[in-house]
Order: sequence, then C-alpha cells, then structure tokens
Amino acid sequence: MAFLDAGEAVGNGRVLRLVLLPVGFALAAIAIWQILCQALHIPPVLLPPPSDVWTVLRDNYAILFGEALPTLNESIASFVVASLLGVGLAISLTFSAWVREALYPNIIMFQLIPKIALAPLFIVWLGVGETTSIVVAVFIAFFPIVVSSATGLVSTKPEVLRLCQSLTASEWQAFRMVRFPYAVPYIFAGMKVGVTMAMIGVVVGEFITAQHGLGYIIMFAAGASETATVLAAIALLCVIGLGLYGIVGLAEWLVLRFYGGEMPISGVI
Amino acid sequence: MISVGTPLAPAPRESSMSIAKVRPCLEASGVRKVYGAGTAAPVEAVSTVSFTVPHGQFVAILGPSGCGKSTLLMMVGGLEPVSSGIIIVNGEPMTGPRTSIGIMFQDPTLLPWKSALDNVLFPVRVLKRSISDYREAAWGLLQQVGLHGFEHKRPHELSGGMRQRVAICRTLVYDPEVLLMDEPFSALDAISRDEMNELLLDLWQQLTKTALFVTHSIREAVLLADRVLVMTKRPATIVEDLAVPFARPRSMALGESREFNEICRHLRERIEEGHDRSQALRLGATARRREQAT
Amino acid sequence: MSVEIPAVAPSRSVPAIGSSLRRVRPVVLPIATAAATLLLWQFAAVRLQISAVILPAPVEIAHELWRALPVLISQAGPTALDTLLAFAVAAVLGVGLAVVITYSPLLRDTLYPNLVFFQLVPKVALAPLFVIWLGFGSTSRVAFAAFICFFPVVIAAAAGFAGTDPAALQLCRSLTASEWRCFMLVRFPFALPAIFSGFKVAMTMAVVGVIIGEFISSQAGLGHYILNAGSRLNTADVFAALGVLCALGVGLYGAVALAELGIRRVYGRH
Repeated sequence: MAFLDAGEAVGNGRVLRLVLLPVGFALAAIAIWQILCQALHIPPVLLPPPSDVWTVLRDNYAILFGEALPTLNESIASFVVASLLGVGLAISLTFSAWVREALYPNIIMFQLIPKIALAPLFIVWLGVGETTSIVVAVFIAFFPIVVSSATGLVSTKPEVLRLCQSLTASEWQAFRMVRFPYAVPYIFAGMKVGVTMAMIGVVVGEFITAQHGLGYIIMFAAGASETATVLAAIALLCVIGLGLYGIVGLAEWLVLRFYGGEMPISGVI
Repeated sequence: MISVGTPLAPAPRESSMSIAKVRPCLEASGVRKVYGAGTAAPVEAVSTVSFTVPHGQFVAILGPSGCGKSTLLMMVGGLEPVSSGIIIVNGEPMTGPRTSIGIMFQDPTLLPWKSALDNVLFPVRVLKRSISDYREAAWGLLQQVGLHGFEHKRPHELSGGMRQRVAICRTLVYDPEVLLMDEPFSALDAISRDEMNELLLDLWQQLTKTALFVTHSIREAVLLADRVLVMTKRPATIVEDLAVPFARPRSMALGESREFNEICRHLRERIEEGHDRSQALRLGATARRREQAT
Repeated sequence: MSVEIPAVAPSRSVPAIGSSLRRVRPVVLPIATAAATLLLWQFAAVRLQISAVILPAPVEIAHELWRALPVLISQAGPTALDTLLAFAVAAVLGVGLAVVITYSPLLRDTLYPNLVFFQLVPKVALAPLFVIWLGFGSTSRVAFAAFICFFPVVIAAAAGFAGTDPAALQLCRSLTASEWRCFMLVRFPFALPAIFSGFKVAMTMAVVGVIIGEFISSQAGLGHYILNAGSRLNTADVFAALGVLCALGVGLYGAVALAELGIRRVYGRH
C-alpha cells in the first residue's frame, strides 16, 4: 500500500488496525443498510435490505451459480487469449524497430477509443452468442496488456543492455536473460488491468445480448424490478471479479518471489 | 593533438614482460569521435588520441567530467565505433566487443533476481560455457573480494560497495586479458571507495592482465596506476603521460607520502592548465566570431 | 530499443540523408501503416465484394458519415454533456475525498482499502441498479459514469498527495506556514501530475460509463445510436457513429491534457 513508508515499523497493533478498520467499516455499512431499510420502510424495489439479498442467494443458488459459470468461463477464456495475444505482440514489437514504430503509436491511438462501444459491431459480425462476448472481452483486455508489456520490454535500462553487449550476447540472449525478466512486473501490471477489463467486456456483452450469464440475470431481474436478485447477482459478480484478480495477483507474487522479492519496477540495482 | 610514445618504463611486476620485444597489448592511433557528423552542430567528444599500452600495465585515464574519457574507453572496448583512427588490441583492430576484454561500469547492474554467485556466473551463461567448470572459480573470486557468506544473497541485500565487488568478480570470472573500468567506484561513498581501492591494489598483485581505469579522482589514479594519462576537454585529448614511480605491492599508506602528494599536485596543475587553455580557446573563438560579425 | 551494434572501425561519416530519414521515420511509419490499412480495407471491400453488412468500405463509411453528420452531432451532444457532468462530479468529489484521506489517518486506514476494493470490482455490473434507482433518464447515466470514474481520481489524487517530497513539506512547516498554506504551496502542486493522470483515466472511464448507460437505458446519445444501427444491420452507420464517438473521446481527453499543460505552466514544471 502506498502509504506504508519503508521505515515505518509494522507492529502487530498496526497490522490489526489496517485490517480491522476497513473491514469493520464495511460491516458497519452493511449493518446500517439493514437497519435503515427496516426503520425507514424503504420499498424493497428500490433498496432491499441485505437480509433479502441473502434470502435470494440462499433460495436460488443453483440457478445463480449456474449462470455464474458461463460468465466465469468466458472471463477466464478471454483473459487467457488476450494475455497470449498481448504478450506475444509485445514480444514481437521488441525485436523489430520497424514493426514497433509502425504499430505502437496506432495501438496507443486505439487506447483512446471507448472500445466498449464496438460491442454492437461485434454482434453484427458474430451474432448473439458467447463467442461475441469473448471477442469483445479479448478486444478490451488486449490493449492494456500490450501497452504495459511493450513498455516493460522496451524500457530495460541501457546499462544492463550495455553489459550484455560487452559480453557479446546476441539479441535473443539479451531478451531471454535480461529484457524479459525485467519486464515481468510490467506484464503482470498489464494483466491485472486486463483481467478486470475482460470481465467488464463479458458482462457488457451479456447485458446487450441477453442470452445467459450473470449480466443477463441482472438485466432480466432489473426489468422485472426484482432488485434483491439484481444485488445478489452483483454480489456474485464481485466475488468472481475479485477472485480472478486475486489469482493474477497471487501468480504475480509467486513469480516475483521466484525472481527475488524486491524487484524494482524501474531501476537497476 | 599530442601523440605520446612509450613512457618511462615503470617498475616491472613481471620480469618476463620485455616491452621492446613483445607487441603492445593496446595501440590507439589518431582516435577521434565526433557525434552528429554531417549535421549543423557536430560535437567532437574525443579529439585525436594516440597512445600504446604494453602488457601487464595498469593505466589510469584521468580528467574532469565530460572530457570524453568514458567515450574513449567505450571505443577501446568496442562498444562505440571510432569516427576516425584505429584501435588495435592484441594485434586485432577493434570492430566490436570481445570476450577477451572485460568491462566494468560505474553501475554494477546486477540482476536483482539472481544471487551474488549467479550474478558472477552470468557471463558464463551468456558465453554458453559450462557452469560447473566455473562455479568453483566464481566462489573463489567472491572469497577473494571478501564476500564470504554472501554468495547466496540477492543484490538488494548487499551494500553499494558489496555490489561493486560482485561486479568485479563477474568481470574476472571469464578471465579476460584486458580490463576496462569506467569510474567503477565513483558512485560509492568515500570510505567504501577507499576499501575498493585497497581491494583492487591487492587483487592486482595476483592478476596478469592489462587495465585501463577511467577516473576523475587524482589520488585514485596515482594510487592504483602504473601510468596516468591526463585528458582535458575541448579539445578532448591527452595532455600528459606520467609514469608513477612507486613500486608494488603498494599500500594505502602511500597516500600520505610527500612524493605522492607532489605528483598529485603536479597533475592538478596540468588539469587546471588544460581547463584554462580550453577556456582561452573558447573565449578566443567567441572574440573571433564577434570580430567577423562587425 | 535494440542495442546499437558498433560499426567497423574506422567508419565513414553517416550520410546526411540517411540520418534525417531515420529521424522522420517514427512519425511517418505509423501514419503510413494506418493509411496502408485503410487502402487495403477499401480495396478488399470493393474487390472481394464483401457484403456491406459485414464490412463496409471506408469510402462508404465516409459517405454515410457525411450524410448523417447533423444527426450524429446532435446525438453526440447528450453523450458529451453527460460525460462532462459525470467527470466534473467525480473530479470534485474525488479530489475532495483524497484531501480528507490525506489529513486523517483514521479515515485513510478505514476508507482507502475499501476504495481499492471497489476499484477492482466489476462496477459495470451496477449499471442496471442505477437505472432502477434513478430511472431511464440522464441522471442515472451521469451517476453511474461518475461512480465509475470517481475511484481512479481518488486513488490517484491520494497517492499524489501522499507522495509529496517530505523534505519540501518539512521546509514549509519549519517556516511556520499553516497547514492550509503548506497544502496549497507544496502538496497540491506536487500532486498535480498524479491528479491529472487520474483525470485522464477518469475522462476515458466517464465516456465508457455513459456509453454503457446508453446501451441499457437510453433513447438518445451515441451509444443508443450505435446499438440501434447495429440492430438494423446498418454497419456503415455504426462505423460512422463510432468515428464521431472516437473524435469525441479524443477531444475530451485532449481537453484534459490541455488543461494539464495550462495548469503546469501556472505552477511551473517540476
């Protein structure tokens, strides 16, 4: 977390505070929500109390989990494809100055397009089905991954590259032994954004194609004014989203441990 | 544009090195480096430098910042092309980096995800030689520089001085004949720097290599080297070639002797002269331009 | 950047033409690539007789753009307005909350983790919820978009304020300046790059939020237009609208960038 200075001693009391305060706040917020709903008699169509949401989850978990599965699968699939394509393209950008100069600025320009707006276009091309959701999600998740990975691969410190050069290392050796390892934190940073984007793509795809998945449930329930169901589906989506992000974060932590604890994102030791 | 011939013979460490018979290790003649040739404002970083270095000699290149000494070193190491002139190392003209030349930079540039030992073995991996052959040598080198017990530490667990020591081992592990060092200790604090100087003095006793050492510290140059080449900027060329008359093995106590400080004073004067002269040249050029304008 | 291989020594001086070509290459090459792609697209669409429903030729899109321009611009209006409003709300609230967080460790420890948590959650799923709460009008879209782009602003601004050079702060305090003056003179200028990077992200997110809102709840705006044209399989129209949307997005982003340049000039580069 940005606020922990290196010098601050993290005693037990502080760790406790760091965990208890935000969690406590969240729990308190939920408790207040419950109380307000019951005390102020807020119509459940507008804002159902947490207890209603829990009831929906408990009674309908088969259906909800059943619809969560396509969303989860499509998110994972699109993230994996986007990562492979993104890192792959970033790697090829590293090796050819011509390709890099031709493509990279165009990729950056593409970043400025609100890519989600292309979803209807993908529907025209690919129809209303899960392929569309995946392709939209890949399209959205691909760019942050490419940009981040390419930045990492290209911005290796010149001193390290000079060292390789003085040892008569080939371009491939320099890439394998130095460029790529130094770029790993950037690649993971891009992938963390990418996994979030992939999920957004899938959910928005489900909103507008209304076939299956939690996005479809949300739209359907919203149309039927079943707000508790909407909230239940949202909760499930949040869990999935956090879970996927957490997996990428965990993978990043493991890889960085292998690469040696403190790996400065910029700078050479 | 002063061409310098062979210096007064320094006290030879190895009596087998007979300078007259064996071809010098390093010959630079008429070496010049111009950046931006053919554009509106070319910059002459190195202006016609010539010198030769016999085998086994430790030569310091001394000069103020920005006088082109690092550029010169990069050209000797094959990392920069010369604009004109030629550099011959061990009988072959320099066309690119070589594995018989080891270069040490100011930045140790250790790979953060590798241990000290693995960092030392990095060149072995690059050169695709067998790791097992070199592991013992790498271990031994780390002992020699005083890093016993730190072989498996990561760079972030080492101090700046320790990292440079790992860098020294890395440069020596594949046994290059020529060592080029570009201000390797300039980024260290004064105490660490003294320790490194002492280390290098000790190491040099056991090495049979030729070394070029770039520095802007007069004392460091006189302490470590058999011979000091003084460079100035504008023009970036060698203005003095001084043989250091102290026998080896040397100790840090040498720095307190009167003769040592005399030599340092002399070098300082030469550097200041060069500075004044380059000032005069620049002022003269400005005055001339003003004259022509009126 | 590939490592420069030293040339054979002694090297000939590089001819002037070669070096100037190299300098202009980074600008010419991407433009040339984009142009080449357009030409290829045009050629393929015409020659291979690809159905206009699948991939209309660029010329046809341009034609459609010209024809529908008044409509498109009138549709761009609501979208732009909603975006600006959402961005403004998020900017003010976001920077405000960031200031509060900076000065209250208690609130910081309580809120910041929750903010980061919310940033990671697929907030887009809440879009229908905003429609339930605020109806089908512009309000729900603005609220949703503001909700989405609020988080990057807070997080970036908080990081910017927190990352002020402590030496500068100490200097300020040692001159017995009040906390408020310290903030205005030191923390805020130092945090400006971070704040503006958050703003740029936020502006992009605001457009996305408005578009998504229009997808699910609107009878007006570019998002609605695109969805509508798509359902009518009028692909050229879709592309034309996308073009206008891109211009809008770039324009808004550029406005933020320009604002940043202006403010930086006032506060001086650092």
